[in-house]
Amino acid sequence: MNSMITTPALPAFSEQAMGFLAALSREILHTPNVREYTDVVSYAYWIRKASLESARKDHSDYHHRLGRGIAFHIAPSNIPVNFAVSMTSSLLAGNCTVIRISNKSFPQIDMICNAINKLLKDQFAYMQKYLCIIRYPHSSDITDQLSSVCDLRIIWGGNQTISEVRKSPLPPRAFEMTFADRYSMAVINSDHYLSCDSVRTAKAFYTDTYFTDQNACSSPRLIVWLGKNKQEAKTRFWSELTALVKRDYDLKPIQSIDKYLSVCMLGASGIPSHKISDNNYVVRVALESLNPKFMDHKTGSGLFFEYDADDLEEIVPVLTKACQTVSVLGVEKQTVKELVFKYGVRGVDRIVTMGQTMGIEFYWDGFKMIDNMSRIVYSYDNE
Amino acid sequence: MLDRFNELEPYSLEKADKRSLLFHELKELTDFHRINCPQYRNVLSTLNYDSDHCNELEDIPFLPVRLFKNLDLKSIPEDEVFKIMTSSGTGGSPSRIFLNRDNAILQQKILLKLLGNYIGKKRLPMLVIDSPEVIRNRSLFPARGATIIGLEFAAKKMIFALDENMELNDEVVSDFLEKYGNSDFVIFGFTFMVWKHLYDPLESHRIRHDFSNGTLITGGGWKKLESQKVSPETFKSRGREICGIRRFMDHYGMAEQSGSIYIECECGHLHASIYSDIITRDPITFSPCKIGEPGIIQVVSVLPHSYPGHSLLTEDMGIVLGEDDCPCGRKGKYVKILGRIKSAELRGCSDTYANQFK
Repeated sequence: MNSMITTPALPAFSEQAMGFLAALSREILHTPNVREYTDVVSYAYWIRKASLESARKDHSDYHHRLGRGIAFHIAPSNIPVNFAVSMTSSLLAGNCTVIRISNKSFPQIDMICNAINKLLKDQFAYMQKYLCIIRYPHSSDITDQLSSVCDLRIIWGGNQTISEVRKSPLPPRAFEMTFADRYSMAVINSDHYLSCDSVRTAKAFYTDTYFTDQNACSSPRLIVWLGKNKQEAKTRFWSELTALVKRDYDLKPIQSIDKYLSVCMLGASGIPSHKISDNNYVVRVALESLNPKFMDHKTGSGLFFEYDADDLEEIVPVLTKACQTVSVLGVEKQTVKELVFKYGVRGVDRIVTMGQTMGIEFYWDGFKMIDNMSRIVYSYDNE
Repeated sequence: MLDRFNELEPYSLEKADKRSLLFHELKELTDFHRINCPQYRNVLSTLNYDSDHCNELEDIPFLPVRLFKNLDLKSIPEDEVFKIMTSSGTGGSPSRIFLNRDNAILQQKILLKLLGNYIGKKRLPMLVIDSPEVIRNRSLFPARGATIIGLEFAAKKMIFALDENMELNDEVVSDFLEKYGNSDFVIFGFTFMVWKHLYDPLESHRIRHDFSNGTLITGGGWKKLESQKVSPETFKSRGREICGIRRFMDHYGMAEQSGSIYIECECGHLHASIYSDIITRDPITFSPCKIGEPGIIQVVSVLPHSYPGHSLLTEDMGIVLGEDDCPCGRKGKYVKILGRIKSAELRGCSDTYANQFK
């Protein structure tokens, strides 16, 4: 750790970091039983050599870029693979990377860390200076110390964590990236949906939602329906989903109660709304109008707010700072993007096709991760 | 209000009569609170409550009990608030229950009537296995304090057996037994308090007191004992051995429905009185369970008048064991409480890092 202060930063997309990550990809994919963990496998694919090379192409000014120095990451406790995703951008940016991972144990974390340790011990020993993954019991002292020497601090885990960690001061030039609580929505054209394979669509939507207990920032909570045949589309969509949830999701009694509580809280707040569903697998509430306040009553585990719109522009009031991903089905991504630009709204960092909200990318929450984690060394050319 | 109920003995109604009496009263309460509590009215609208389609007991809409932790719900004007009851429940912020004078008196009256059915109508001297500190400093253990204060009026005299340091005060106990030990009296405590602060010291000091005329009333705290692998049976047999206690009476209740508690009979069953009932519900559909099927406990009570707490979905699991046919002779449903519903470890972005600092 101490040596990190004097360790030279690496250039962006350095051979060292690229080589290490590509080797990590191979190492992870050779781990026995890894196929049981789709999240670990998708991560491993994301960092294979060809994928890294194509990412480099997308960063055309990378040869002007150098790591900022020490990057201190605080990973969230509930999405096990996230720490590795944050690490990947940080190493590719050229930083000495320190990551505090959660004390909660996950087989996914063990798998990735074992693979890393194996590489660091052996042919990638030179990366030891650049990577340190730690667990520590909640101690503001340690957070203070790490914060005081870092050049970049990356905080995952939501608003509460951010305000806790921000009690530890940063050096004057240090830069901070925070990943706050966000919410996401889906926009579905009902006429288009009715022409789709409803089973596949249900699967895609399940992956976006129930796969992470609908608690990921990118999981849609609000569903906006467009088109002419809304009623028919909704009936088919929700009954397909319910069948899938019934089959694949282990709904606990407390989740039923939490969802019911949220519906009652929403009602008590005076937001005009009506509960639609008659079982707790998929709980739906129809909203009479779109006011961002309804999001105060979100909870995970399959609680959906629904709104029927005649025109896509009706969603503008809910594209607030807290709105992250808009996933679409039968609606052009470009149309949504144009709306964001037309109104200059403060939210929406990402527009994806339904089923891809969980994708691992080098763009997140409006950051181009590697660019933000590195600095540009500009030389004025006067010839 | 409740005139019909008050003419009756608390465990005298059979199923059909009780259902009809209870349903009509609860439906009236639903309308009453709908008119007088705007938030409740809004909730009913979101839940699509339609008075015309509310035709039986199970149709009465229910609020999740945690709603009282998050919101101040009352059906009386601010200047009528006589007392605010709090309970810590599952932790987090406490529930706040707003009572006017009439409702506070009603709760006490019914509690006394129910207890009377078990231990006689006379107020009895009560030895509390707790420290007077829980009353003096209510912020220490708000739930324990509230329960004890709620019982105070039912006692002829209330004596605290523990000192400020939670040590059993032998002199106080001896005095109490000398004065009152020859006829009926009550010992009250939470199960883990009785286990640790009555049984333990009596056993280790090899003191023998004669508690044989006492009824030990316990009120929850089983979860703490369960974690030490102590079952209700072990609890009772140790009480018999060490103190000679012969009558045990556990009860189930909550600050959100004070007064209409469920008291354990001689057969070990918790009984619903005519003032209240338990409906168990399937966790997936919330539809009512059959007798013998475990479900989430919904409690209904005709006592909450000053706040909309007459129909609540608790966070406890339980089983309705039977109705009208308990060998003890009491009519109505009798139930078994299975315990608090477990919290779930969920995935997601936002996490609990910050919570752990608290």
